[in-house]
Formats: sequence, C-alpha cells, structure tokens
Amino acid sequence: MTEAQADVLIIGSGHSGGMVAKVLTEKGISCLMLNAGPIVDFQKDRELKPAYELPYRGFKMPGRLEHVFQATEFNANTWVDEKEVPYTYDQGNPYNWVRVRLFGGRSLFWSRQSFRLSDYEFKAKDHDGFGDNWPISLADLAPYYSRVEEIFRVSGHPDGLPQYPDGNFVVNDSPWSGSMQRFIAAGKKLNVPVCKPRSAMGRDGLASSINLLLPDAIATGKFTAVPNVVVRQITIDKNSGLANGALFVDRHSRREMSVNARVVILAAGCLESTRLLLNSGLANSSGVLGHYLIDNVYGPGVVCSVPEARDGKATPDLMGGGALIPRFRNINTKAKNFIRGYALNVSSSTRPMDPRNFAAYGADLQKKLDSYQGSGFSMGMMGEVLSHYKHHVSIDKNVVDAWDIPVLHVETSYTDNEFNMARDAVDTGVAMAEAAGFEVLSRNYDPNPPGYSIHELGTCRMGDDPKTSVLNKWNQSHDIKNLYVVDGSSFVSSGWQNPTMTILALSMRAAEHLAEEMRQGNV
Amino acid sequence: MRRRDFVKAIVAVPVTATSMFGQTTTAPSGEKTSAPQTSSTSTVPPADTAPRSIDQRGSFGFQSPVIPATVPDAIATTEGHFFDARQMATLRKLGDILLPPLNGYPGSAQASAPEFIDFLISVSPAERQHMYRSGLDQLNADAEKRFAVPFADVNAEQADALLRPWLRVWMRDHPPAEPFAQFINLAHEDIRTATMNSQIWSIAATSAGERAPGIGLYWSPIDPDIEMYV
Repeated sequence: MTEAQADVLIIGSGHSGGMVAKVLTEKGISCLMLNAGPIVDFQKDRELKPAYELPYRGFKMPGRLEHVFQATEFNANTWVDEKEVPYTYDQGNPYNWVRVRLFGGRSLFWSRQSFRLSDYEFKAKDHDGFGDNWPISLADLAPYYSRVEEIFRVSGHPDGLPQYPDGNFVVNDSPWSGSMQRFIAAGKKLNVPVCKPRSAMGRDGLASSINLLLPDAIATGKFTAVPNVVVRQITIDKNSGLANGALFVDRHSRREMSVNARVVILAAGCLESTRLLLNSGLANSSGVLGHYLIDNVYGPGVVCSVPEARDGKATPDLMGGGALIPRFRNINTKAKNFIRGYALNVSSSTRPMDPRNFAAYGADLQKKLDSYQGSGFSMGMMGEVLSHYKHHVSIDKNVVDAWDIPVLHVETSYTDNEFNMARDAVDTGVAMAEAAGFEVLSRNYDPNPPGYSIHELGTCRMGDDPKTSVLNKWNQSHDIKNLYVVDGSSFVSSGWQNPTMTILALSMRAAEHLAEEMRQGNV
Repeated sequence: MRRRDFVKAIVAVPVTATSMFGQTTTAPSGEKTSAPQTSSTSTVPPADTAPRSIDQRGSFGFQSPVIPATVPDAIATTEGHFFDARQMATLRKLGDILLPPLNGYPGSAQASAPEFIDFLISVSPAERQHMYRSGLDQLNADAEKRFAVPFADVNAEQADALLRPWLRVWMRDHPPAEPFAQFINLAHEDIRTATMNSQIWSIAATSAGERAPGIGLYWSPIDPDIEMYV
C-alpha cells in the first residue's frame, strides 16, 4: 500500500477540474486528478467514415442513449451509456442527463457560447422577489471572468448592455450580412437588441480542459492523473471530521481502492458531484443538497427563409453569420405572464434546408429544397429555469450502476413560467422575422425535456447561511472546510446564459481562495 | 447472479483454461519421454501447442495486407423478417412514393431502404415497432377503404390523396403528436435517411460532384470497458 498523500484530490477532469488543477499546481500545490473514463487519443480514436459503413447506416443504435438527443451513430461512443450508468425518474417527467466520462469531460464537446452572468442573475431576487440572491455579485467575479476569457480567447463585441456584460474579448468587428441587418432593423422596431454572439475560439480547434488548462498544470510537475477510476465515496477522518480522501473502483477490473489527500475538490459535473456527496452522506446539514435543480430551456425556435436568397441568389453579402438576442424581457418593462428572461441564438445559413420545413414529398419536396437552399434563417431559445426546492435529485437505493454504486433519481419538470417564456420567445422571433420580410417555415413552442441543454446546475447551491446552502461563496462546504465543489452545482440561479464561463470563473476563484487558505494553514 | 459476480466468472476463465492446457502438455507420471536429456534435472520441454505459448513478438514488423473489403450492402440484400408481407409491400410502396429516383440519384427501392428499415425496426423499442406496424396497417386499410386496392397498388394520385393530409412541418425532436401523422412523418424521415446514407446514394452523389457525401467524424469505442466484451 502506498502512503503517499496528494495535497489536493480533484475528482473530474472537465473545465472546472482543469481550472483548479492549473491554478493550484501553478502555486506549487500538488494535485491528483481522478477521472471515471479513459484518455482520448484524437488521432487514434477518430476517423472520417461514410455513414454506409456504420452498422446502423447512420441511425442512432435503437434503444441506446435514449435520452441523449445529441447522439448520432458517429458520436455514440463518446456519451455515457445509460445502461452502464443508469438513473431513474418518474414516468411522465423524463429527464435527459447527458454525460461524458472521457478525460476532459464535456469540455471536449461544448458549444463554446461564452457569456458572463449579470447582476440581473446574481441579484435576481432584488429585481423580482423570487428565489434567492447569490452571495456574490458581478463585481466579485468580473476579474476572474476577464482572465478566463483571455485563456479561452472569447470572440465578442462590447455592447454596453447591463444584462449582457461586456468582457475581455477578441473583438469581433466583422460586418453584418444583409439578412442580419434586416433582422437588426426589425428588432429596433420591437425594442429587441440584436448583438454579436460571444464564443470561445480556443486553440487548435478545441476549447477544452485538455488543451487550455491541463497543459499548464502538467508543466509544473505537480500534476498527476488517474483515468478509468470511478469514485464511490468521499472518506472522512473520524477524529477531525475533515475529508481525507476517497474510495474508488477501477473501471475495468472493479478492484476497490482508497486514496488519501489533504483537500478534496469535486469537479465531476453538477449531478455526479451531488450523487457522490449523497452516497457519502456528507455536506448536507442544510438539507438542501440535491435540491433546486435547474438548467436552461432549449428546444423552442423558429425556422425562416429569406426570399431574396432563393433560387441560387444567396450571396455572402446577403446570407451568413450569427447573432445573439440577449435577455430583454423584465429588464425595463414587465412581461405579463413570466419572470426572468430568455435569449435567442440567431443564425443565417447558406447550407441546405432541412426537409422537415416542408409538408411535401418526392419531386415536389426536392424542388422546394433546391429552391430554398441557402436561404435559411433560424432562431433557438435559451431560457432561464426557475429554482424550486421541489425539483431535486436523490439516491435510488434500488438501482446501482455497473460498479454497484447507487444511482440518482431525478424529480423535476418545467412550470408555467418556463412554458409562458417559451411561447413569448417563439412569438417574438416570428414577429421579428415577419417584420424583416422573411417567410416563416416552421416554429416549435415545446421545450425539450429538462436536462437537454446539458446545463444542469444548482444542487449544491452556494450561500452565506449554512442552514440554507451547501457551499459558501468560495465553493467551500459549510460543513467540511477542506471539501470544495467547483462545478455548476453551486449556482443559485441559472440565468439564460451558457454557464461555462461562470463555472470557470468560479473554479478559478475557488482555487485561489483554497491556495491562500492552505498557505495560511486554515485548510 | 449479480453482475459483478458474473464479471468475476468471466475474468476467471483464462486462468482455468491455462491450467487445463498445462495438464494436457505434461507427460503422464511415469511415462518416458523421447526428448534428449541434457542433465538429470533438466529436460527440453516438448513442443507446446497451447495458445499461451505462441510468441508473436516477431510479427511487429509485419505490414497487414490491404484486403479488398466492401460493405455487406454492396454484395447482398437484407433478409427482412419483422414486417409481414402486406406491411412490407406497403412500406416499399411508401418508399417509392416519398423518395423515388430523382435527378440521377437512387430512390428508396434502389437503396434497399425498406429492407434496412425492416431490420432497424426489428431491433427498436416496442413503442417504435408498434408505431410502424399500426401505421402501415392503417395506411393499407385506408387504401382499401377509399380505393378498394391495397396501398401497394395505388396510383400516384391515390397515394397523394392518402398521404398529403398527414404531412406536417415540424422541428427536430418534436414530431407531430397525432399517432398516424407521427408515423407518416417519421417514416418519411427514416426512408430519406436510409436512402441518403446508403452506399449507392454516396456513389451517385460523388458522380454528381458532391464532396464527401455522407461522411462524418466517427468516434471508435475508446478504451472499452469490460462491459463491452460480455
């Protein structure tokens, strides 16, 4: 048995795990990272193939990855298999838990939309009285956002909108295409702002933990990782009550092992970190661990055609480019039947149209596809989900995963606030498109199931009061001072924004706090 | 048997097998061996035919030949067995109507899309199987009721009268909720996908000058878990 003890044990290798590893090792603190899945070899593990060479001719293997709408036969092997690591939910309230256990986690595949939360999110209760404020404000996190944006090379344009805080951008001054200019003009008539999107450019085609964060940790000589180990439990020193390591299972052999550490950081993703704490029976003196599950509403949207771009007349001046309509509801006015807000992703495309946009078949359908090619203009909603105590996860003691670890039971659903918001988003998109002179081809008001956005958040919420929150404002457990949780589970509200930049900024801030606490001997 | 115990049993097999091979290659007690002895205590072991003893390190420099491999669809037809004869005839006709050969590209029949869909649905969840079977049955019943012929025998005008009322515009992940409309629109999508992802379509698309038709970035199983082997 080895007696070696890591300074810090990090569980999970995605954006948040990578960030704490980078920050801590650069301060001379040794880190050991455990990851439940294997390391990807981007040369060996991927290849270009025609669909006809795949066993199911490009169809997703029937019955596999039922809840991963994003899965195809091409990428099926990147997602966690629901039979290997199941979860349960009440029939009628399905949940799409979309997971990646490859080293680097979901940072390998994220959409790269890079936004800051504003004080309309951090201090949301002050604006509408619902829920709770975060224990921090934008001013607390802004310096960390700036450093994260520099690492991830976030492309964007400063717009000066308080609900869409500007950042440390690689400035995008590219001209708008003609279709976008018409859409912007339509937005002005309806008091809807249309802005440049904000996106992490990363490097070498990736904006992940494994290429932007972990190389810095590795360079220090203070970083070690163990892939293919599934953590079963956080262990506690009986005398001090502090975390002292973890029990884990070798993914291949099922051999049970234990490891020691001075500090434990959970970065396994919101629901896996929560599951680990629940299975360990830790950090829940408040009773809110697992509660307040939130995410973002995705699915509602509008597809249009720009008439002037049809029949081969699409040009780069007319078509192309993306835009972002940041939240505009409940800023200066009050929406009639929902609080908070949503954003719309906007895209002008020169690509072929989706045949589902036409109620036609055969030669008639082909004629339409040929005519409309290159004229597509679409909008997709990203909406805030309100935080409710009743929306929660718990341990299902009747079901275990492939390593005999009890699984999660998820109980959540969308409420009238989300449905009303979705209806407003689609109606607004249609109104803008019609005002711009576009033909609306299809619209969808129905949200995808909760979880679809892959933005699960909130089940280890932060707060100043240990009686109502799991973590303090430094992502540190109220109950166990050498236990940190740095993934999206600390969120108090979701906002409409992709959470990645906020997760990265929070994990950077938490790691610096931890390093100082360790230096002072407090942890 | 609990899953972990089952895995243990699997893992234990090679050990048992090795012992068994060892027994078969050991001379029975008291039996004389013909191998020359170099000393009273050591012998040259007999040739060992057990797989464990085959040393392939010498093949590290071997270059695998380029095998002229093809996909099964290029040389064979799918043996369908899920749909009954009437359902299969209905599906073939549906494919011919929804995606006939156009502009030098193959249609549903040329791509053997109905036969592939028979296979695909045969391994699909029960809900999907029910949607297809009941949808094909209803389509055929509608044809019999309105035109007194099976759907497989309707003409283009009759097919249009049966199908067009059920065509919908819809967005991904949100097909029509009405059962028959859901069947018509999802079957339409499946027929198009099975056809456009076929090798024969890829050949036609390449001939038409399309670049990389149907090509995608495929992820292999990565360091597969033992779960993948059992």
